[in-house]
Amino acid sequence: MPARDVVNQIRQKFEASILRVDIPADNRLFLYVTPGVVRDLCTHVFLELDARYVISIGIDDRPYSGQFTVAHNFGFERENVLCSILVNLPADDPVIESISREIPGANWAEREFRDLLGIEPAGCPSMKRLILPDGWPEGIHPLRKDFSWDLSPMRFDENRVFPFDDPPEGCVVVPFGPFHPTLDEPAHFRLYVEGEIVRGCEYRGFMVHRGIEKLADSVLTYNEIPMMAERICGICGCVHSVAYAQSVEQAAAIQPPDRARFIRTIMLELERIHSHLLWVGLANHILGFDTLFMQSFRMREPIMWLCERITGNRKTYGLCLIGGVRWDITPEIASDISRVLNQLEKEWTAAAKAVQGDRNLQKRTKGVGVADPALVKNMGLVGPMARAAGVPLDCRRDFPYAAYDEVDFSVVTQSGCDVWSRVLVRVLEVFESIRIIRQCLEWMPDGPIQLKLDGELPPGRIGLSSVEAPRGESHHFVVTGEENRPRRWRVRAPTYQNLQGIPAMIKDQQLADMTISLGSIDPCFSCTDRLEIIDIRSGDVRVYSQQELVSMARGL
Amino acid sequence: MTETALWSIVKGIANTILVLAAAPFFEGLIRKVTARIQSRQGPPLWQPYLDILKLLGKEDIESGESPRVQRLGAYLSLAGVLTLAWFVPMGASAPLVQAGDAIVVIYLLTLCGVSTLLAGLAAGSTYSVVGVSREMMAMLTLEPLLAVAVIIGAVEAGSLRLDGILEASIYSLTAWPLAGLLMMVILLFSLQAFVGRVPFDIAEAETEVMEGPLMEYSGPKLGLFKYAQMSKLFVYCALIVGLFFPWGSDWPYPLALMALLAKIAVLVLLVTVVGATHARYRIDQAIRYYATLFVLSLVALTLALAGF
Repeated sequence: MPARDVVNQIRQKFEASILRVDIPADNRLFLYVTPGVVRDLCTHVFLELDARYVISIGIDDRPYSGQFTVAHNFGFERENVLCSILVNLPADDPVIESISREIPGANWAEREFRDLLGIEPAGCPSMKRLILPDGWPEGIHPLRKDFSWDLSPMRFDENRVFPFDDPPEGCVVVPFGPFHPTLDEPAHFRLYVEGEIVRGCEYRGFMVHRGIEKLADSVLTYNEIPMMAERICGICGCVHSVAYAQSVEQAAAIQPPDRARFIRTIMLELERIHSHLLWVGLANHILGFDTLFMQSFRMREPIMWLCERITGNRKTYGLCLIGGVRWDITPEIASDISRVLNQLEKEWTAAAKAVQGDRNLQKRTKGVGVADPALVKNMGLVGPMARAAGVPLDCRRDFPYAAYDEVDFSVVTQSGCDVWSRVLVRVLEVFESIRIIRQCLEWMPDGPIQLKLDGELPPGRIGLSSVEAPRGESHHFVVTGEENRPRRWRVRAPTYQNLQGIPAMIKDQQLADMTISLGSIDPCFSCTDRLEIIDIRSGDVRVYSQQELVSMARGL
Repeated sequence: MTETALWSIVKGIANTILVLAAAPFFEGLIRKVTARIQSRQGPPLWQPYLDILKLLGKEDIESGESPRVQRLGAYLSLAGVLTLAWFVPMGASAPLVQAGDAIVVIYLLTLCGVSTLLAGLAAGSTYSVVGVSREMMAMLTLEPLLAVAVIIGAVEAGSLRLDGILEASIYSLTAWPLAGLLMMVILLFSLQAFVGRVPFDIAEAETEVMEGPLMEYSGPKLGLFKYAQMSKLFVYCALIVGLFFPWGSDWPYPLALMALLAKIAVLVLLVTVVGATHARYRIDQAIRYYATLFVLSLVALTLALAGF
């Protein structure tokens, strides 16, 4: 019982402060503790027990228990346990002691629940706004239950500007984004540059926050959310829908059929392949090596066609439902998959050889954007960022889900900590993914692909799920609820943690290395702020402005 | 006297027309070959002509901090290259050899770079300025190379007169011209940088500084800069051909012209292949590369002075 071992270790020091322990499965642990010890306990878990910080979540539980709840999630890689440390806070004064002095990677998460729920992280080193727009009035928190999903608050002040810090002495400010050719999506970095050297930066993002979590707990239903979850990301959409479905399944103790688990694995790995091919292409484009960019996109295309053949779409597969999947893999499709993979393996072997031997590429990427194991630990960096620093994090192995416990694969690591190591990790992971899919095709059992679910899911249960996205761990947290929808659903995409490592990675580096350093985390911000409508019959194109969309959506 | 002057003007105009007419074709060639290397269809060969026409036909927007200087920069960039064309043999002997010497050529070469600096500084945006500082660093280390090449020619010819230098090409010498050969290799290695192609498109690096000095430009002015870049490639290749591969230049005009175009095509293909197989260097890496070449060129100059 690994989860029980973890509890016993924590008990040795904090016996008196633990209010309740829930162990719904061997690899899940929910620990309710008193508010007073939360900082000490989290620090102990993070430093002494060497757990990895995952995310902190604020929950408005007032309609049910009359309290706010904060959950600090940790991953115990050695024990294979995902753990949530929960604290209940009084409704009239929701203050919790900040943990981000000891765990710097918690800074965004604390600022997020401060913005969205009004839970004060006392003693947090940076209290600037993170998510809410600059003009949003103070004291209004959109994720509280008494805030209607379609409410547009009064007193929105369009002229209010973000209080950026002053640049250090001798530095000029170089604005990077929100629109820049290498940023596919909006985010703003204020770079403090001395000559060609970046001395520091400040980040302002969340410019197209879509309020998906709010929609999920007030408008959508359980099985509509996977479709919405997929639209969180244009590349690793399947990851989000699987992670959501798995966390609900875990909360409600549902076991999807075996065949569904294998199909999920196959789609997740196909997604990883096309994402890594895309990244290798884009990274080379950033470095000006367009030939490899074009070639890797050419190799990627058959994978996209394959996905279209399986699901009817190149992206946004509509694959996952709670308790199974919607698309089966027929024998014909299976043989198509094998054929495409054989072809890809041949081509990618050649490409990998070319990349590994390219000294010109190494010159631009070695020693660039360094994220060492200490930074990985402190900021909670995940995925290829961690693996390129020699930290073997991989949720597929550490917290097995879908069919990953039944296939054989290795976790690719490198020790350079730099962009070059990240290139190698991703290049080599493509081969592991091919291996995994082949095993799945071979071992996939027959049977149903969707479980028949009767009746309501039990409310008030908590589910956690971590899925290894191409960019790193994608962590979903669900509290089940009434009216066929969850009370709270929190998504932590890998970029959320990885982006927090950027300021340390670009400090004292050349400005020219900024784009590839940022590119090396494979950043994924949200990108739906406009809509283009094409009339197929007349060919007319009409682009809707934000204002038009708002008025359409709200019927004003 | 008047007859030779008239001839010079006729030949000069012929060179100008040749550069303007042929430069976009070679740009098209680069795009097409690059596309084939990248498994793409690529645009048709005449696409750059259409691009230039399109840009020239657009509204001329005055933006940036000093519009007049920006306009001057655009004019100067193309004018500089076209003037340089009057000093380079293209099918016939160089049109203006009597009027200027090697020093003028070096000035004109520098002028191309200066007009880019002017353009970037006048636009005054942050990224332009970053691009300008990179361009400036590159110019300081790169431009001396061509100067050394011309001076080696002058040393070999014993004169700064351009016709003398071009006459004293490495092939017309009887002995084994070590200095000339070394310089030829150096210039072939630096051609990529002179024409600002990957891996040396550092000042304009789209994915880093968003076209740098040219960031604020659009319409006709951008068209002129683009035209100047294409012409620069053509004229630089012609100059290298004139200095190091002049055989065939004494053939009758149409034949000599065909020979020149063929040789330029070979150089352009070289530029294309290097561009398609490299990632962009960082400015400090590029400078180190230029510096190595510069030291080598000094060796070549020493050799030339010692009579090798």
